[in-house]
Amino acid sequence: MGTIRIDGRDIPFEEGDNVLKAALAAGVKIPHFCYHHALGSLGACRLCAVEITPKETNKAPQVVMACLEPAKDGLQVCVSAAAARRAREGVIELLMTNHPHDCPVCDEGGECHLQEMTVDCGPPYRRYRGRKRTFPNQYLGPLVHHEMNRCITCYRCTRFYRDYAVGDDLGAMRLRNEVYFGRFQDGPLDSPFAGNLVEVCPTGVFTDAVFRQRFTRVWDLKTAPSICPHCSVGCNTLPGARDGTLRRVRNRHHPEINRWFLCDRGRYGHQYSEHTARSLLPRIAGASISYRNALTSAAEHIKTAGDRLGGLGSAREDLEGNALLRALMHKLDGAYAAFSDPALESAMAAAIVQRQGTAGASSLAKLASLAEMEQADAALIVGDLTGHAPMMDLALRQAYRRGAPLAVLHSTPAPLARFAVTALTVSPREMGARLSRLSELVADPSAASSTQEAALADIAARLTAARRPLVAGVVETLAAPEIVALAQLAMALDPSARLVYALPGPNAYGAALLAPAGSATAVLEAVEAGRIQTLIVAGNDPLGDARLGPRWRAACQRLDALIVLDCVATATAQAADILLPVAAWAERGGTFVNYEGRAQGFAPVFQRPEPLPTTADVIADLAQALDLALPDVTAALSDAIPGYQAPIPGTLGSPIPVSPLPAHIDVATRPESGPWQAALTTWYGDDPLASFAPALMELAPAPAARIAPAAASNAGIEDGARVMLRGPAGALALSVQLDSGVAMDTIALARATLVQLGVGHGDPLDLEQIP
Amino acid sequence: MEAVLTQHLDPAAPLGLEAYRGVGGYRSLAAAFDLKPEAIIKTVEAANLRGRGGAGFSCGVKWRLRGVDAAKPRYLVCNLDESEPGTFKDRHLLYGGPHQIIEAVIVAAYALQSERAFIFVRGEYATGGNGLKRALKEAEAAGLVGANIGGSGFDLQIDVHLSAGRYICGEGSAQINALEGRRPNPRHKIPRTSIKGLWGQPTTTNNVETLVNVPHILLNGADWFRDLGINGGCGSKLYGVSGKVQHPGLFELPTGTTARELIFDHAGGLAEGRSLLGFLPGGASTAFLLPEHLDVPMDFDPVAKAGSRLGTGGIIVLDDTTCPVAVALNLMRFFARESCGFCTPCRDGLPYLAQILAAIAAGEGQVEDLALLEDLCEKIAPQSFCAFAPGAVMPLTSSLQCFREHYAQHIATGRCPFGKANEGGL
Amino acid sequence: MSKLQELEKHLAQLPPAHPERRAAVVPAMQALQTERGYLDDAAVEEVARLTGLSATEVEELATFYSLIYRRPVGRHVLLVCDSLCCAMNGGKQLLTRVEQMSGVSLGEVTADGALSVLPSICLGLCDRAPAALVDGEALGPLDEFALAALLQRLQGED
Repeated sequence: MGTIRIDGRDIPFEEGDNVLKAALAAGVKIPHFCYHHALGSLGACRLCAVEITPKETNKAPQVVMACLEPAKDGLQVCVSAAAARRAREGVIELLMTNHPHDCPVCDEGGECHLQEMTVDCGPPYRRYRGRKRTFPNQYLGPLVHHEMNRCITCYRCTRFYRDYAVGDDLGAMRLRNEVYFGRFQDGPLDSPFAGNLVEVCPTGVFTDAVFRQRFTRVWDLKTAPSICPHCSVGCNTLPGARDGTLRRVRNRHHPEINRWFLCDRGRYGHQYSEHTARSLLPRIAGASISYRNALTSAAEHIKTAGDRLGGLGSAREDLEGNALLRALMHKLDGAYAAFSDPALESAMAAAIVQRQGTAGASSLAKLASLAEMEQADAALIVGDLTGHAPMMDLALRQAYRRGAPLAVLHSTPAPLARFAVTALTVSPREMGARLSRLSELVADPSAASSTQEAALADIAARLTAARRPLVAGVVETLAAPEIVALAQLAMALDPSARLVYALPGPNAYGAALLAPAGSATAVLEAVEAGRIQTLIVAGNDPLGDARLGPRWRAACQRLDALIVLDCVATATAQAADILLPVAAWAERGGTFVNYEGRAQGFAPVFQRPEPLPTTADVIADLAQALDLALPDVTAALSDAIPGYQAPIPGTLGSPIPVSPLPAHIDVATRPESGPWQAALTTWYGDDPLASFAPALMELAPAPAARIAPAAASNAGIEDGARVMLRGPAGALALSVQLDSGVAMDTIALARATLVQLGVGHGDPLDLEQIP
Repeated sequence: MEAVLTQHLDPAAPLGLEAYRGVGGYRSLAAAFDLKPEAIIKTVEAANLRGRGGAGFSCGVKWRLRGVDAAKPRYLVCNLDESEPGTFKDRHLLYGGPHQIIEAVIVAAYALQSERAFIFVRGEYATGGNGLKRALKEAEAAGLVGANIGGSGFDLQIDVHLSAGRYICGEGSAQINALEGRRPNPRHKIPRTSIKGLWGQPTTTNNVETLVNVPHILLNGADWFRDLGINGGCGSKLYGVSGKVQHPGLFELPTGTTARELIFDHAGGLAEGRSLLGFLPGGASTAFLLPEHLDVPMDFDPVAKAGSRLGTGGIIVLDDTTCPVAVALNLMRFFARESCGFCTPCRDGLPYLAQILAAIAAGEGQVEDLALLEDLCEKIAPQSFCAFAPGAVMPLTSSLQCFREHYAQHIATGRCPFGKANEGGL
Repeated sequence: MSKLQELEKHLAQLPPAHPERRAAVVPAMQALQTERGYLDDAAVEEVARLTGLSATEVEELATFYSLIYRRPVGRHVLLVCDSLCCAMNGGKQLLTRVEQMSGVSLGEVTADGALSVLPSICLGLCDRAPAALVDGEALGPLDEFALAALLQRLQGED
């Protein structure tokens, strides 16, 4: 739009930019504290002093704050001017009057912005002779450690936590040089994004409480570009390891996805890989054994099985592991599936068809990156996005902050409902009908028949009026027809409408591309019928499936061998005849395809003292033990996905080539019987890996049967009452928690509870009061 | 000069509505409603009524620049958050005559076509604030405030906001944050609060003394107002004199009255045998003036020419028993305590200055401390976010110039020449 | 009707997201303080409920304002000015004497719960220096005798 001249260099700027923003974008360093790309200018720290000479007047040069100075064409800026340097030096000297100079024992050491700025700008002396101000610290929960004496009052923490992430339990108390950033009372921070405080804080006030348990100097950490394995968003991360153990995970900037931030699941879920229950040695029938012997034994079972062989990949397994397992099945005439639940498989197939189309499809709704989601000017969210893809929630909070009306249809409590203009609770059984009706109302707004439909009509009107509407759904809690309905809704809106689905796993997209239609049913039935004798499960947990877990468990009893490749102690891993531990995500390289269909590579960050193989390595070793000529990973992937090229770790990733899927959509409707239906309620820390992360799990909500107050009063149930729930897998006594975020006739239950009962989202459930 | 603003003040028994009307109160409403709002603004501008809160900006120009086509709703804020040391004029207006304030707010709101006005009263003035609320109820009951005032078609709601302490709430944009229920940090100068102020709407903030002049200007004309002043000043001014004088008090006098007349004729001069060390002309955040400045007219431009600011017109007098280091320390502790904590120079700079001053006052100063104080003052004032820190630094900078030998003596002798009692500061 | 009831009535008429709900935070803190003497944690939460703010947001303001007390204070709060004009005219000695005569240090409460003494910034009573404020009543110029009489009155009347 124009250029400013900084120390003799022409720097372009965009309309509305300030001098600091333009300079940083062009790689010109101007010292700063309170300015942050995502949080903008504040003008509090006063460090970004520069000297400007206005072009149009003959005014003398003046020192201004670069963050508050609008960029104007021809503006002359001097960062190195003596007056500006002196001003910056003054600011550092003042900040240092209260800073404790405890760098040798500070967790921020080595990546402290304050230290850098002090070395860059500050005076090389200290003149202050007075006492330093000191503060007590607060307990902020298991994730973030608080050390207020180091604070330089840049307000980045509250601006991120309150303004950007729209949390309300961190604030700036008091005044003068006693401003205190903390909570009303000690206690865990509420926000799913609290861990970002560790990174936005320019010094050591907020540090990683998990990292400091096994602290190491950050310059001793081994790092490599990685991808978060905890949901389908595919945030870019930078894990750090030392001495063969993973110590922490930080954000790695991706301009279209996570940008500067991570959710707490992504930041703290990594503790799964250091969990004491993680088996690092292969086991046969529970006894440790060498890798070589485990491999030989597995190969024998496979050989014995002949074509009565099955392979179950996973949405959590990388593209390489899935592709090679699939190749092995092809080679041996075994059956490959990627999902343990046929309903989830068809839901995924439906989602991908909506994304890339089937042969002959004319138009498709566009997908949205997180950066694009932030730009939505109206959004419909179906399901609990926070629990299934937390960073999508953060993106929508940005849309909300810009004034976009959000509408949420949810069966279980959804944190985004707090920001919604319209939030409707809809039971799983009714969701399909409600979505179809919404589509009709978009097509014909006057069709709203009753006052009950007013809310739906309002949502339809807002979506229709929007220029950049967004429709978002959670695949795990939607049936395939509902997924199709959502896409149709998006297509009925403005042509620029965007559609996103939160998928069930970091590589759910990739796994679905490899899974033949109907394969989940085929494999399950084959195991049940004894047509599969040996089953290889890679990163999947069929025995831990909410709805089908009991069926899988019974079926697996019939197997000659259950061979499990995994890095966490799932129910299936515990039941394995042969367990082959594989490298956790930071310990290996591989590829995930995120919810957008963006393939992103990740590099191995470190190796354990006893290096573990990847899933693909194990399968290749098996093939070798079987004397099979199996294609290598590259060939297997090219074979499965024509045109596939492996994305290089550390790049922005590449779109996965379109490979037409057979549009097999299982239209099984939800069972209608019984007054109560179960619904999956999640929270931001809920995923199969993160459930082995102790610090994060301290925050997990206590198990309860959450019921809408109206539904409870209809049934004569009081808050806190004990009820007995009965499902196909068993009965369980729980306390009732009334929650207006739950739909009528619905009992919202945590994943683990559903597994214990053997019911899936939307399944009927018996409830009986315990007197 | 006959008293204008203070004529009917009675803190013991402030005039009720009827009594106030009996002395001519609320007459300006009819006069105002007969005029177009722009005509009122023109008159106020012609009267050269300058802001009495301390900045001295022309009230008429401020109103004109707000613009007739400013977005609606528009708000008026009457600033009655007086907290400047040495300043007590607004207290007299509030406790002595609440109806005068309400009348002024109505006229100003009409001139600005503001549909809602807030009177922001400092928490320490709660008793006066409650009196103002009672007067407001009377005025509302009489149809002077509310819908279609006196059949004029002009609607106005007035809210009295009783604050809860803190000097920074007197800063215009911080006051708007306070009204919104936010932390009272000042806002960035852009966008101006006259464009985006309270709840994002155009907001005009005036000091209460400024506003109470407006009805009188309207009734008597711009020329009358200008002629009230002397030595080039316009209007009457509420001067305060306090500190080391025999009869501290509030004096309504022609703008431009000299400091000599104020201190010696009106405030009774200094105690027997004492001589004048210097004085702060307009509250704590102004620069010291010396005996040689006694004949400077106490008006915005002449005081600025003498190197200080008229500020609030609250003169604080120091005599030769007053330790200027202890005075500077007292002021700096005040400012350090009241800093909102938003920007670095103010938050961390002022306590640093106070710490050095405390050392000097206690006889523990070092020779290089004076240069250090000056160096810090030079860095703090231009670097800070709002006008608070520049105001805080001003008396210190001038104190270091005016009374340097006193500082040097403290440092050289390792004690306070004014006695041990001063060593911990005043 | 108490101030708190009046405020509750006013807020009940406002829609939940109305900006004036937040704007009521200072009056709400004052109203609760009038009833309870100071804001205890429960009062902060009560203000949060009334204004739709979080307890942390209320705490930001409760700890900012000098006239909102987050610790117990006496039934009477004596604010003694320590700013320049009062300090120059014996205000500093006055503060020391108040402590001696009342038997409590600044910020504490007398054993009978009658009185707290707090230092204050300029009270706008420079013409009556040295000055103080108790329960909204301005006092000054104060000397030791006036102070003694005042303390006797405040501590004796309950």
